[in-house]
Amino acid sequence: MIEVNDMFYAKSSDAAIADAGEYGGAVTSILKFLLKEGIVDAVLAVEEGADLYDAVPILIEDPDKVVKSAGSIHFGTLNLAKVVEKYLDGAQDMKIAVTVKPCDAMTMVELIKRERVNPDNVIMIGLNCGGTMPPVKSREMMEKFYEFDPDSVVKEEIAKGKLIVETADGTEKEIPIDDLEDEGFGRRTNCRRCEINIPTMADLACGNWGVIGPLAGKATFIEVCSPKGAEVLEKAKEAGALDLEEPIEKGITIRKNIDNAMVKLADKWQDADWEDVKGREIFSALTEYLPDFSRCIKCYGCREACPICYCDDCCLEAHNGPDWLSKGEIPPSPMFHLERMIHMVESCTNCGQCEEVCPSEIPLAKIWHEVNAKVKDNFGYVKGTGENKPPMGFFPMDKMPL
Amino acid sequence: MEWKPKIIVFCCNWCSYGGADTAGTARMQYPPNVRVIRVMCSGRINPLFIFKAFDEGADGVMVAGCHFGDCHYDRGNYACDQRMRALKTVLTTLGIEEGRFYLDWISASEGEKFANTMTMVSEKVKELGPFSWRKNQAEIG
Repeated sequence: MIEVNDMFYAKSSDAAIADAGEYGGAVTSILKFLLKEGIVDAVLAVEEGADLYDAVPILIEDPDKVVKSAGSIHFGTLNLAKVVEKYLDGAQDMKIAVTVKPCDAMTMVELIKRERVNPDNVIMIGLNCGGTMPPVKSREMMEKFYEFDPDSVVKEEIAKGKLIVETADGTEKEIPIDDLEDEGFGRRTNCRRCEINIPTMADLACGNWGVIGPLAGKATFIEVCSPKGAEVLEKAKEAGALDLEEPIEKGITIRKNIDNAMVKLADKWQDADWEDVKGREIFSALTEYLPDFSRCIKCYGCREACPICYCDDCCLEAHNGPDWLSKGEIPPSPMFHLERMIHMVESCTNCGQCEEVCPSEIPLAKIWHEVNAKVKDNFGYVKGTGENKPPMGFFPMDKMPL
Repeated sequence: MEWKPKIIVFCCNWCSYGGADTAGTARMQYPPNVRVIRVMCSGRINPLFIFKAFDEGADGVMVAGCHFGDCHYDRGNYACDQRMRALKTVLTTLGIEEGRFYLDWISASEGEKFANTMTMVSEKVKELGPFSWRKNQAEIG
């Protein structure tokens, strides 16, 4: 019997999938199994679009097509929770399995808390994540550091702190990510600050960290994080879709150490990013960011991209109710951003979508992450996990004294 | 001319507004730079109200409601308390001084408390000086 907190080395029993997927193709075969058995109606995953720098969300209904989503893609900056909420009607009448990075998983939990996604219909297959990279900058990086034609790159992989890139003619080159980041390339800034690398809020947490011994590089480390995850894994094992093995004790320690090292690195980035606003006199943060806000062209891109901004009637639009913002004022008053902040900052999972789409390059994710960290410190509300509802938007009437 | 702060006070209809009335009927003196906005319940106060007040040029904002257990609508003030505490976190993170935003509970009979609180808030905000994120932006630019 598989239980919560159990850990396994898993690999696909299907040779074709094991070949197409990374580290034994365990995730791909779980997804295929779920579709084949009819446990889910569809699988939401990410596939390669036009090229390696183009990650596209894909809804797969045919079990034979799951293999299209196999393999890792680090140049994608998607948040699949947004797709589930906005385009799949919050999975209200459709059972889906979703592959989630930690920020996707946390966003999904926040949306479940806010009753926008039906938790009964969603199976979250978590993927360990050390960070994603912005596509445009990465193309530049390929030319500048790797001296490859960006279009000739066919494979990329992150292992042992290095970004390994392979071109069509088989040349491989690896550069430590730290070196890239010192030059302003490498991971997105919000990913550098992110301290959650293993998505324990999902149903299963899968990754290559901690796989050692004979299976090193050929199997996926799976941690069972919820009863639902245990059930899925149990069924997949029984049906013979997966080969499960007990993990090596030392591997578990290694996995933990990698996670700790990543958290420490994230702390370092947080200190560096927030240093300029820390310990300032009055007006510190706001004064610091006002010049940034004044570049705003009120394109509403951040609102559209934010997975937590889901209201049909948005108070940022002048025709809705009271005049929160004056019509036609550009740049808008800082109210524009502060309003959005008040509405969702406690749920902000630092997924970086807002910053990604901003045409004026306002460091939105940085500001939001900072405020969110303070909400956590002062208010005890941790985003993305647990049962507690966001403090600003929800008030548990039944728990209060009369 | 001496600079006078603008202070917006959100008062709930049943307790704090009554408190202001009591202060008035008892002819207690308090600074005239306080502007009272009446709401039916402190639970009605959207955190955006506070931002909007600051945006429109308030130098200080106060929220006043019924004491816990006295709410006309049972628990509106508990909701207010939770929201405002979270809001305070956001405000202080952004660097808006603590002395610009107040939350207190004033009952209808506490006319003296109302007058004293208004005096206190007015003096504190006066010390901090004028506030505007718009003006500040112009200074930087």
